[in-house]
Amino acid sequence: MKNSSKLMIAGLAAGALLLSACGGDDGNGDGTSSANGNGTSGANGEAPSGGGTLKFYTDKAAWEPQFDRVSDASEEQIGYDLDFTGYSEADAYSAFIKQSFRTAEKPSLFTWHTGDALAELVDEGMVAQTSDLWAEAMASGDIPEDLEQYYTYNGEQYCVPLHVVYWVIYYNKHVFAEHGLDVPETWDDLMEIADTLAGEGIPAFYQTNILFSFVWFQTLLAGSDPDLYEALSTGDASYTDPGVVAVMEQWRDMIDAGHFTAPDSADDPQILLNNGDVAMLNFGTFFTGALNELGMESGEDYDFFVVPNMDPSLPQTSLIVESGPLCAAEEADDRADAMEYMSWWVGAEAQTEWANARGDVSYNPNAEVRDERLADLGEQAGTDDVRLIERYFEATPQPILTAALDGFGAFVTNPGDPMPILEAIEAEADAYWASQQ
Amino acid sequence: MFIVAGLLYLPFLWTTYLSFTRYRGLGAPEWVGLDNYQALFSDPALLTSLRNTALWVAGTIIVPVGIGLLIAVLTYNMRFGGWFRLPFLIPYAISGVAVGVIWGFILQSGGALTQAMDFVGLPGAESRWLLDAPLNTFVMIGAAAWQASGVNALLFVIGLQSIPKEPLEAARVDGASGWRMFSSILWPMLRPLTTVVVGLSIVASLKTFDVVYIMTQGGPGRSSETLAITMYRETFVQSEYGMGGAVSVFLTVVTLTASIAYLRRQLSERKAL
Repeated sequence: MKNSSKLMIAGLAAGALLLSACGGDDGNGDGTSSANGNGTSGANGEAPSGGGTLKFYTDKAAWEPQFDRVSDASEEQIGYDLDFTGYSEADAYSAFIKQSFRTAEKPSLFTWHTGDALAELVDEGMVAQTSDLWAEAMASGDIPEDLEQYYTYNGEQYCVPLHVVYWVIYYNKHVFAEHGLDVPETWDDLMEIADTLAGEGIPAFYQTNILFSFVWFQTLLAGSDPDLYEALSTGDASYTDPGVVAVMEQWRDMIDAGHFTAPDSADDPQILLNNGDVAMLNFGTFFTGALNELGMESGEDYDFFVVPNMDPSLPQTSLIVESGPLCAAEEADDRADAMEYMSWWVGAEAQTEWANARGDVSYNPNAEVRDERLADLGEQAGTDDVRLIERYFEATPQPILTAALDGFGAFVTNPGDPMPILEAIEAEADAYWASQQ
Repeated sequence: MFIVAGLLYLPFLWTTYLSFTRYRGLGAPEWVGLDNYQALFSDPALLTSLRNTALWVAGTIIVPVGIGLLIAVLTYNMRFGGWFRLPFLIPYAISGVAVGVIWGFILQSGGALTQAMDFVGLPGAESRWLLDAPLNTFVMIGAAAWQASGVNALLFVIGLQSIPKEPLEAARVDGASGWRMFSSILWPMLRPLTTVVVGLSIVASLKTFDVVYIMTQGGPGRSSETLAITMYRETFVQSEYGMGGAVSVFLTVVTLTASIAYLRRQLSERKAL
């Protein structure tokens, strides 16, 4: 019995040693480097090898066909292709990427989120700096200067924009035609349309109490007080501010007026729009791809418009923008090759391929977007009439975001007095900003 | 044995260590002592999570174990009883995720259940099955019972078939049948198997995750969260691995305590018999 106990302890100790040996470094840059899988890429810090396969990880598993198309184009143009690994569950993906930094197999290229999530990786020295690449791309007009702020930490840039998405309202053209509705030019027009549809028993807008519960909060606040919206994301304003309360009350009135779908709908929003079970969807332009896949035709079956400001006196139209980064691990064996790939990615040829494969806009004004409506939107977004505002999901630090998503989910389910929910979010915000000082 | 020890003990020890640290998955964990446990027990959401987990334990023992026992007792002696039990077993072949997706469509507002109740004219058709607490937990227990009842029935049938014929014949000769036969003969003789089925159900219900995660993600507003969902949320959504570790250690302690207490009680009662 005693011997077996000793054996067990010895086994545990041996196991611990084995695991710690396999565990790699602590991410501080002293880890071992191993050759790239196919041995074609250059080592960390060296010059790019001029071609090969780069390991690429993303939480956008459903976009694999589009990534494959771009990978074919890059192989043809610069000799690099992508070895695609897609996750469909964002939380599992985030944990995987973080843990991969502790191993010898650091991701060559991976997609991430701007804001708090990227700051965390930058603070730990996990992602490669891209300041030179940004300077070059902005000088050549490939990346608009507006985007720089989302990728800048302590005065340096990290990662490059994978894509840019503008949040607009998609609408079913047949539903609009059937009810004699025109595209709204003002917020009042939009509310009139929603009232008309509610009278016919058709919910105007889609909403959910899971994950995307923030969408209407961001739309209403950005369209009524964009300064307050941005102040919330920096801790300079409170969630109990009268402006925020007013927005929640407006939201509640819209729910009470029957403007929204039930928040627990298990059906995909694109299916609801296609079937005419909902008239409009407040979504990012990435949604074009989902609608096209259903066989809906842009301009025939659906179209989109920029959400009019709730406050018509604002000098610029608030347009929510979301930009997802493409990053290289600082300690990846083939970092130089990954940098080469990112440099190609932001260029006009790659962006033309990507935007048309995805059916989305491009941040690169030199890219040729075939969908005229998307091309127009891209141009409009670059004018002085528009104020680009970062999506709530990226603009809000994680602990506050989680509390807010819970709160908004509860609110759309049981719309009532918003104060207890706002106070709960504010308590989380207070704790977070206090911890940052 | 070393591999088993390595794969089971080391992660548990690592998780326990993490529960005393602040760790966001990057860099090195920072020792914070009992801070995570203090924060956990002062969080009002933990109470909701505990209440829901307790409902799952009670519900899982009452509904799928009860239905499983009923099906077994009614069919074990029946001609073609196996064919009758088969439909109840089919859901067991489906993953918990698929169960969540199927029942999500059935229970959503205006979904199949509401439409069916409306069509038949049953009261309560307007109920918001997944939106109102604790109704959402009750209906999810129902969805889980739909999956688990069949296998419980199978286990009980095995137990019933292993009961010796002599005492049953003797009871019949003495005039026992129906409820009397069940309560005085079958139920006491099924006791060892019931202990196993209930014990497994307690453990399974304490770690309830998949059905809830798919159907409500613990919402709306954390109203249907269970301890396992709390653990996932802290670890993978919030990236607070230390806090997630504290929840998992707490869940482990609860599961072990409940299992040991139940088995001890059952075994001591058997000895007394």
